[in-house]
Amino acid sequence: MPYLTELYRTAASLLRDRHEAEDLIQDTYLEAWKSFHRFELGTNCRAWLFKIMFHRLHHVRRRLVKASRVTTIDSPESQDELAAEPVVPQEIRDEDVLNALEKVAVEFREVVLLADVEEFSYREIAETLKIPLGTVMSRLSRGRKLLRQELAEVARSYGISPRTKQAGAAETA
Amino acid sequence: MNTLSFDSKRCERIRQQLDSYLSNELLVETASEVVHHLESCQVCSRDLESRIRVRDALQRAVSNWPVPDSVRTDVVRKLRGSQTRSFAGVSAKRWALGLATAALVLFGLFAAEWLNLRRGEQLIASILKLGVSDHVICALQGHNYPEVANPPDQIREKLGARYAPLLQVVQQRLPGFELLEGHICSIPGSDRKYVHFITRGHGTILSVILTDRNGAALPRDKLLLSADSDGLGIYQDRFSGMEIAGFESGQYFAFVVSDLSQKESLQLARGLAPALNETLHTTARLLPPNAATKWAKLGQTRA
Repeated sequence: MPYLTELYRTAASLLRDRHEAEDLIQDTYLEAWKSFHRFELGTNCRAWLFKIMFHRLHHVRRRLVKASRVTTIDSPESQDELAAEPVVPQEIRDEDVLNALEKVAVEFREVVLLADVEEFSYREIAETLKIPLGTVMSRLSRGRKLLRQELAEVARSYGISPRTKQAGAAETA
Repeated sequence: MNTLSFDSKRCERIRQQLDSYLSNELLVETASEVVHHLESCQVCSRDLESRIRVRDALQRAVSNWPVPDSVRTDVVRKLRGSQTRSFAGVSAKRWALGLATAALVLFGLFAAEWLNLRRGEQLIASILKLGVSDHVICALQGHNYPEVANPPDQIREKLGARYAPLLQVVQQRLPGFELLEGHICSIPGSDRKYVHFITRGHGTILSVILTDRNGAALPRDKLLLSADSDGLGIYQDRFSGMEIAGFESGQYFAFVVSDLSQKESLQLARGLAPALNETLHTTARLLPPNAATKWAKLGQTRA
């Protein structure tokens, strides 16, 4: 069963529910089996399977978006964000990063997972999610930042004070 | 400790590139520019380090996500189940479709056949009724036969050359019946004429009637046949208390009409049909075509 582990882990990271992830994986392979005649030999089978999985996932995306506890940040990044760069803990536990990821809206979460975990290229992500390349870039940037913000919250909960940015000057050794 | 001047705008521009730099999506020239800046800017370097740390943490956390052994077996089972259901579903659909189609076709065939039979029965009835009508009007109501049989020669003369040979057939093929009369009848107001043999036997009057088909034909459906006699299909029906059996012979319809039972009537018709048919064909070959004009000359108007 090719790429089952990668698909399952991505599904589980997105859904944070074992049973839903298993259902999604089963549906993905079933759909792949049914539409295998459409797969072009010599092309990227891994990308093809991820594309099928996200196609299936988007059927329930509305539910996922509703279930997401984080509202999408629609405002464009401001100049202030440079100074407000979140400080993430030096040591990040698996549980913390997964909890932080869960709080990121799913449309950003899926791009972050595809880019940072599965290391798909922007073009492959665009094809998988059927979104423009520019949207991939903006969602990735926003998603990463949201994740860092969530992890910064974790750091604060651990008593780690955010480092104050020193605009205009930096220290070197 | 050295403090370097910090170009916030330059940092801002570089940080906008960091995500693409991290994903290795920058052009070589742009990536070189980012690297060059990072070498001289600790703030941006720390920013990149932070991003890399989060990425690595995410990769590690996802990679450590346990994959239950059941996932693979469940997928395989679902695929197999789907194949079975799909096969069964397709089969069931095909069976259902096939049965429905077959039922529809059978119904269509049945309906067509039923309509065809109904039309055939109606056609047979309309043809056979001619014989019953001729028998009833000429023989029974008109009583156009003598109590003592007319001499055969007299009958032959009435019938003419074309139909005289039939006299012997009627005499021989209707055992237990006496030929009383033979003539050609015409019907007032109609061009139709018919050769009429009137016989007596088994306590009743029996007619053998021969009339031109005029292009009409009895249906060929075997389901409508009552019997077969040497390839001649015998049709049977009952009207006005009369049993009639009829068949086609060349250009004629031939009828055997009486009030005998269905079985007796049919048996008599089967015995008569082959000989009558052969005689008619023989006569037709021997006689010139204009001999048919005997219809008009010899026809007697039915009262």
